Amino acid sequence: MNQADVIAKLQTIFDTVFLEPVTATPSLSAKDVPEWDSLLHISLMVAVEKEFGVRFRVGEVETTHNVGEFADLILKRLQER
Amino acid sequence: MNDSDLKALILSNNPEVWDGLLSRTRLARGFDELFRLSSLRKKAHQRQISRPGLFQEKLRLAMVGGYNFYPFHDLLGHICEMEGFPCDLWLGSYDNYVSEIMEEDGELYKFAPKVILLIPPEHRCRYPGKLTDSREVQQSEAKHFVTSLLDLAHRAHQKSNAEIIITNFMLPARHDLGAYRARTLGSDWSFRKWVNLELGLNAPPFVQICDIEFLSYRHGGMSARDERAWFESKQPGAPDFLAEFAREASHLILSLRQPQKKVLVLDLDNTLWGGVVADDGLEGIEIGDTSPRGEAFKAFQKYIVSLKARGILLAVASKNDHDKASEVFQKHSEMLLGMDDFVAFKANWEPKSDNIRRIASELNLGLDSFVFVDDNPAEIEIVRQFAPEVTTLLLGPDPSEYVSQLQDCRFFEPRSITTEDFERTEQYQSEAQRQALSATITDMGSYLESLAMEGEFSDFTPLDIPRLAQLINKSNQFNLTTRRRTEAELHALMQDPDYSCLSFRLKDRFGDHGLISILIAKQSANTLIIDTWLMSCRVLKRQVEDEVLNELIRVAQNRNCKKIEGTYLPTSKNEMVRDFYLRMGFTLMTENEKVREFELNSNSFQTKPTKIKITRRIYESS
Repeated sequence: MNQADVIAKLQTIFDTVFLEPVTATPSLSAKDVPEWDSLLHISLMVAVEKEFGVRFRVGEVETTHNVGEFADLILKRLQER
Repeated sequence: MNDSDLKALILSNNPEVWDGLLSRTRLARGFDELFRLSSLRKKAHQRQISRPGLFQEKLRLAMVGGYNFYPFHDLLGHICEMEGFPCDLWLGSYDNYVSEIMEEDGELYKFAPKVILLIPPEHRCRYPGKLTDSREVQQSEAKHFVTSLLDLAHRAHQKSNAEIIITNFMLPARHDLGAYRARTLGSDWSFRKWVNLELGLNAPPFVQICDIEFLSYRHGGMSARDERAWFESKQPGAPDFLAEFAREASHLILSLRQPQKKVLVLDLDNTLWGGVVADDGLEGIEIGDTSPRGEAFKAFQKYIVSLKARGILLAVASKNDHDKASEVFQKHSEMLLGMDDFVAFKANWEPKSDNIRRIASELNLGLDSFVFVDDNPAEIEIVRQFAPEVTTLLLGPDPSEYVSQLQDCRFFEPRSITTEDFERTEQYQSEAQRQALSATITDMGSYLESLAMEGEFSDFTPLDIPRLAQLINKSNQFNLTTRRRTEAELHALMQDPDYSCLSFRLKDRFGDHGLISILIAKQSANTLIIDTWLMSCRVLKRQVEDEVLNELIRVAQNRNCKKIEGTYLPTSKNEMVRDFYLRMGFTLMTENEKVREFELNSNSFQTKPTKIKITRRIYESS
């Protein structure tokens, strides 16, 4: 699995979580999406952890700035399994 | 209806989406499912799909406490709205609840809440001193903690006139302190338990307790917590636990605003007993302690009896022949429910929806205070369609789960502390005093007296045959001859005029022990020969054997038998009754390794005094 694969899978999660269509791209960040507030963020993270079967460490999701970096973090945690 | 079905309904502006969302919301357990349903609901609102039957006035709900309420508030708001009560929410800021409540003209009171949910943080609920401090000091600290929490609740209530819901405290789920945790009130484990009890027992009527201790126990202590979620965003629990928490809080808020359930309407066949009485007959239905299924149905009846004791009215709506149905209640000895437990009994061939309507008008109660329970989906559907105000509960395929289903249905929960409850408490208290009294009784006679035992003799009856066969084939210890018999053989014995077959039931003030002793004797000229004498060991030392012998002597006199013969056949398990006949006043006649034979002259027998009140005998002595 590479970054593109992860982003493709993220897209399916976005499709269920966001009300309005949102296209997952490496440069997309939360501030680009009006719906993506802190409430939605928590739900998104719950869905991502469940879908990918990973668990992030405390504070590390905050350090990612866009979907690309977030996908890399998912890859990193996936490789540890 | 799955997510894509719901989305399709929303895209076509179809109001059926609301029914779909409601039923999905009621079934949803996990956080993400509930959250997705909440998002879909918002989408439906965006598209202005109207929903009839909503309360126009919104419920003003404030949350204050030591946590971040995102996203908990969204789940709670979603459930309340789906159940017909849309909310206006006001969220206090993280860990600012004391000043929010204390501030006279603060934002909390400007919001004019109808309900205030107070969620104090668990990290404050901790004993500050040493584990080894005296128990008095630790208790008074817990008491002080609860008093200040209830003071806050009092103040919030006075200022706003709102109902107050306080959450209690989750217990730790880690091994920290080991077994020592239970030996001091200074551990978080014990201190929080103590606080939770103090809180519940001392809360005034305007306070409801949202029992997080119970909820997390039910959910699983380890999975209710999420340390990362606490460090990252001050969550009160793991995501899936938040869903449970929201459901419980909504239940507390909404149950006070919905009609109270007062009547439990029950089906009969395969609900109160296994089988169909019209087909299987009185002896063929499954009820009672002889089979696992029979036990499950009996346990269900026992729970229903306890609901009646709580003040729930019971009624029957059954597709049945009235006489056949009522005969079960009148004649079957294993039934716990009797005809007089029901305020209405409709066993006929009318639709159940009609019968329930009739019961409602007889009792002058609204249909919305009725709960109907049936194992048959078709009957449930008829009631749903033709008496939609009635709440229905479809029993699952396994009767062992009936009790749990009713216990989890949440329709019959006491709402608040009333004067009656207080009176009941007094009754409980005097009962506790009585029990404390009996605990101090030291001699056996007074102890047996205090049990208020009642016994009942019976000839063998067809209904008792399964239980009789069970005892005869399983009793080993208090069993003089260990003769095993089949049900068919027992039926034959019942018909044989040379035999006297009696059984004995015992109950006391702690409960009913059921059928626990059996005696079979055969007449041969002027002698009565004891073929079988056995007793369940759970009633040892209760003087049951004395009463059985008293009865046997009556039987002997009735048959003009002067001599009674008893036999002991030793096995590896019945050593306990080797000298039984000697203790009972018999004389040993012959003895070898395989058998001991005894005799008693019935004329010289003196009735043994016991503490058992005999309510029914086979033969009255003349």
